[in-house]
Amino acid sequence: MPIKVLAFSGSPRRHGNSETLLDWILDTLRTEGDVEIDKVILVDANVNPCKGCNACEVLNKCIQRDGMDVLHDKIIDADVIILSSPIFCMGICSQAKALIDRFQVFRSRKYVLKLPVVPPERKGKRIGIFLSTAGQNWDHVFFGAIPSVKCFFHVIDVKDSDIRYLMVNGVDEKGAIAKHPSAQRDAEQLAREVISDIRARLAG
Amino acid sequence: MSARVIGISGSPHRHGNTETLLDAFLDGAEHAGGSVEKVILKDLVYTPCRGCNACHKDGECIVNDEALPLFDRILLADCIAVASPIYSMGITAEMKGLIDRAQFIWARKFILKTLYFTDDHIRRHKGLFISTAGLSWDNVFDAAFPAVTAFFNTMGFEYYDNIIANDMDRWKGIRGHPTALSAAHAKGQEVVEVIARLDLA
Repeated sequence: MPIKVLAFSGSPRRHGNSETLLDWILDTLRTEGDVEIDKVILVDANVNPCKGCNACEVLNKCIQRDGMDVLHDKIIDADVIILSSPIFCMGICSQAKALIDRFQVFRSRKYVLKLPVVPPERKGKRIGIFLSTAGQNWDHVFFGAIPSVKCFFHVIDVKDSDIRYLMVNGVDEKGAIAKHPSAQRDAEQLAREVISDIRARLAG
Repeated sequence: MSARVIGISGSPHRHGNTETLLDAFLDGAEHAGGSVEKVILKDLVYTPCRGCNACHKDGECIVNDEALPLFDRILLADCIAVASPIYSMGITAEMKGLIDRAQFIWARKFILKTLYFTDDHIRRHKGLFISTAGLSWDNVFDAAFPAVTAFFNTMGFEYYDNIIANDMDRWKGIRGHPTALSAAHAKGQEVVEVIARLDLA
């Protein structure tokens, strides 16, 4: 069985800093033979915001018919889920927030209907990665993003301790991350750690 | 001149907890003599920021949709109330989509330096964040504050106060909350009176 990696690039700007950071991770993962990668460009994925109707608390599914119909099963099937988003105005970009809010269907399944989100044999094995870049170089520039990211992973049965973070500040203009002293090395290192971790978990 | 108050409702559904709290605030503001306007974001045709940074060159947004006239109205207001429920520990995607579009104003201030709000201007322009959350956690609003703070800074408003109420699930909605609606009404009155006093000063 290949290791399934599902990666969301949340930025509206193609091939910018946060997507480049993601690509470095994916390029490293790709060198492993047994990895199947699905990269989703969120602006092209037709994921509308949550309507807040709470129908999923009863129906166990979303009433909206859009790109989430395709993504739903992929999210459940993935062993590694990656979300990358730039910081806009001290938070994740609205495109990524829309995806996070649509995970309400998983939240309802888990906490309201008390149904499993992933099959029991895969519970507690999944790993999440949050990648982010910000133009400002303040340390606290990512603080507003993290609680929503935790929600995103918790409701799909990725435990808090199984979320890995790589957040790079002080990169604004397109391509700035390529000049960052450690970002690429950190991304490649993270990818290698995650792949050996998930491989051990799936074997165990 | 009466204070101009603009309330922006970022909830995807109408007349829910957050919009009801906003209504109480706007009622209070009107009661004190403010002229109030409510904008329902979900009825507005606008797209999120594309992150293209074209505005860094000329301070103009290349996406010509209904967000732009709204920004004109916000810049003319004396008081803005940003109202959004908490979804997944943050403001809604609709509200974040609007806030991100303020990048062209930010570019005027910090890149082109064609826009400058004096301390006096900022003191006379008040921003309030109105929110509700289902969860009871004390920290449920914390991740929303940085984006709202950034938005008020960009738009030249002092962050005046929050009108927030958590634990909606327990109170069975905002109308079941013992103090939130009356506090919002009082805050609406207060802020209009404060702006009126500043105008005389």
